[in-house]
Amino acid sequence: MKRLNMVIILAVAVAVVFAGCSRQEQKESAKLQVVATLFPLYDFARTIAGDRAEVTMLLPPGMEPHSFEPKPNDIVRISRAGMFIYTNRYMEPWAESLLKGMDRQRLRVVDAGQGVQYLQNVAGDEHDHDVPGNHGAEGHAGVVDPHIWLDFSNAALMVDNILAGFIAVDPANAAYYRMNAAGLKGRLAALDQRYREGLADCATRVFLHGGHYTFGYLARRYGLEYHSLSGISSESEPSAARMAEMVRQIRSSGVHYLFAEELLSPRLTDTLAAEAGVAVLKLHGAHNLGKDDVQRGVGFIDLMEQNLVNLRKGLACRSK
Amino acid sequence: MPVEIVATERLACGYREGYVLEDISFTVNAGDYVGIVGPNGSGKSTLVQALLGLVPISSGSARLFGSRCDNFSQWGRIGYLPQSLHLLNPIFPATVAETVALGLLSLKRFPRRLTRQDRETVETTLDVLGVYDIRSKLIGELSGGQQQRVLLARALVNDPELLILDEPTAALDPETRERFYHMIADVNRSRGVTVLLVTHDTGVIGQHASKMLYLDKRMLFYGGFDDFCHSPEMSSLFGEHSQHLMCHRH
Amino acid sequence: MNLIEILSYGFIQRALLAGTLIAVLCSVLGVFLVLRRLSLIGDGLAHVTFGSTAIALALQLYSAASLLVSLPVVLLASLGILKLTEKARLNGDAAIGIVSAVGISIGIMLASVGGGYNVDLLSYLFGNILSISYEEVIIAAGLFCVVMVLLWLFFHDLLAISFNEELARVSGVRTNLISAVLVMLTALSVVLAMKLVGIMLISSLLILPAVSALQLARSFRACIVLAALQGGCSVVAGIFVSFLTNLPTSAMIVMINLLFFCCSCGVRRLITIRNIG
Ligand SMILES: [Zn+2]
Repeated sequence: MKRLNMVIILAVAVAVVFAGCSRQEQKESAKLQVVATLFPLYDFARTIAGDRAEVTMLLPPGMEPHSFEPKPNDIVRISRAGMFIYTNRYMEPWAESLLKGMDRQRLRVVDAGQGVQYLQNVAGDEHDHDVPGNHGAEGHAGVVDPHIWLDFSNAALMVDNILAGFIAVDPANAAYYRMNAAGLKGRLAALDQRYREGLADCATRVFLHGGHYTFGYLARRYGLEYHSLSGISSESEPSAARMAEMVRQIRSSGVHYLFAEELLSPRLTDTLAAEAGVAVLKLHGAHNLGKDDVQRGVGFIDLMEQNLVNLRKGLACRSK
Repeated sequence: MPVEIVATERLACGYREGYVLEDISFTVNAGDYVGIVGPNGSGKSTLVQALLGLVPISSGSARLFGSRCDNFSQWGRIGYLPQSLHLLNPIFPATVAETVALGLLSLKRFPRRLTRQDRETVETTLDVLGVYDIRSKLIGELSGGQQQRVLLARALVNDPELLILDEPTAALDPETRERFYHMIADVNRSRGVTVLLVTHDTGVIGQHASKMLYLDKRMLFYGGFDDFCHSPEMSSLFGEHSQHLMCHRH
Repeated sequence: MNLIEILSYGFIQRALLAGTLIAVLCSVLGVFLVLRRLSLIGDGLAHVTFGSTAIALALQLYSAASLLVSLPVVLLASLGILKLTEKARLNGDAAIGIVSAVGISIGIMLASVGGGYNVDLLSYLFGNILSISYEEVIIAAGLFCVVMVLLWLFFHDLLAISFNEELARVSGVRTNLISAVLVMLTALSVVLAMKLVGIMLISSLLILPAVSALQLARSFRACIVLAALQGGCSVVAGIFVSFLTNLPTSAMIVMINLLFFCCSCGVRRLITIRNIG
């Protein structure tokens, strides 16, 4: 896999240099250019920007984000932009070293996760067998969970950080950006409220996921018990023992649904579900979108609404 | 009435840069032992490879057992010992017996499976060539002389009518070389196998071969050994003294 | 956790069954490939599969239907590797390198032209030994039978061309045909088995059992049997050790093969030293 990735990176470098050269010329417009790494940042930034700035997403559609590394063409894009937004150094570990080489006078860098209360996933790749619950006992040396956007209060904080970036780079439009950000935060608060109500009265609070550790923040905010098959890195492969343990967890918790992640192949999730005799429901981690969703213009809040529908089905929640 | 085994007419081989071989016409009859000699790069190996269809023929024609070389298919009648001994992969895990058994494939049709009788044939051949005792050794573990003997066993195991050897003694010490030549001569005499032997060792081959073919891109001589020794072309080529040494039979 | 309990899981049973079949067929093919200096062909053909799957997606063919594109393309690529080694007189690894680079860049080009994919292509290309379905066990068994029957039919021809191609031709072996059979069987196995157990496992099972067997085998037959044994045992042992140590299964199988290889080297050294002494 690693070797394959290397070859892909090299080939991409060659391929995109050609594709990139032609594309960049027409984009040298007067508007503020903003590059965001992942989909939530991109969606928040384009909402705040409205028609006063041009926001693009670094990740190509469909690509798995955790193993993503920027290619030469991406670096050119970032260096030509006026603002660069990334999630945090746990999600994009390549960002810090890459930014060292850039002209910080011209390029405003936004760490969207600044000020967020980070959570840890227990023991990284393998879940500790003895520790029940989701976000392991305090004091456990775990891996920091980067999926902060899945707690909507964090999402609001990310909106603030992005807004501060816009105001610093383009103070002339500050009022316009503030207005857009306020609208977005209002919609996020309403979403949070719908989650609170929608997940208040459920037959089970155990929430089992056949993918990598993604929904820790969401689970904590709404008081759910969350278990995932693999650790934080979506490249890590589960052991036979972890698969068997997951099957036992599904059986003993009495749930009827297992959740599957987006973009990646659901083979392991399907295997677990078949083994334990439960059905599979999709749950979108919103790291990135597929090509069709991009063309349809799907937004972060749309994804989360769909997730709420599936979560309520999976946990057998009753309406008030 | 002599039976024709190998015949070529105005045979030429080579590429755009020029011919490696040109205008070769000769006939080998059943029971002949032909020594193919000539300096390095004279096209000796190319000649036998062309006869075996391993290199393409540019013009002229060549026949084996009466059928054209480029669509020859009666491989069971031929035994071949190639020059490229050093190309054998030293880690190849085949035993001596397995290697020799490969020589029987030319007698088989698809799917080529070996029978118990085939294994007996292999053992007999191993015995005849004095390599029975090392039959379970790996081919890569043998000395050059042993390897050559095993490959000769492989070339003889299908009881061929024509044996083609390309520089078979290049890697051998003089003593082993002498024994090897006696073995070939014996195969030729007692079994009536026609032999084509490529060598640059003109002096030694002369003691065994019944005919000599002297090659230097073109065929400069083809005939009996005595004629070779008295040929004025050859003496002008070698000098009379060398020719005398070469032709002095022990 | 006891043995009965481990074996009670369906996915473990399927992993043992399909994994062993695939391991045995890869190990046996691997002996011929290593001897023909084509040991990296597994990786190379995996890259071509990546490119051809991108073509299939561009033609709106998904999952099983994408095999309609990738299988013929990969079969042709395997023949292309063979032609390059014959006609251009390239080494096997150089030929494989060229073909695999072309495969990768086609995939990348199509991705940038088509504006990305709906899914992460790589994750769909490579399976995991723990997620084999019932249908895939049958695919593995079918593949195993096809490869084994053809290897049995062509065993001596394959042995002959691996030993020396010139000699094989003069023994009436149609060397071009037999080489083509070998690489096409490999292509078929890579395309199908990659979706089942992932490329890491395929490419290491094409190399490691063969090179270990080459260290120890005292005959060609023994070499084939040893390689097949190592391949099969490594899968069974890997699955159980993965259970006991809680480490990823495929990586464990590769490590066990590596261990076998180190042991074979050690044993060979001991034998050599004793023979000299
Ligand atoms: Zn993630």
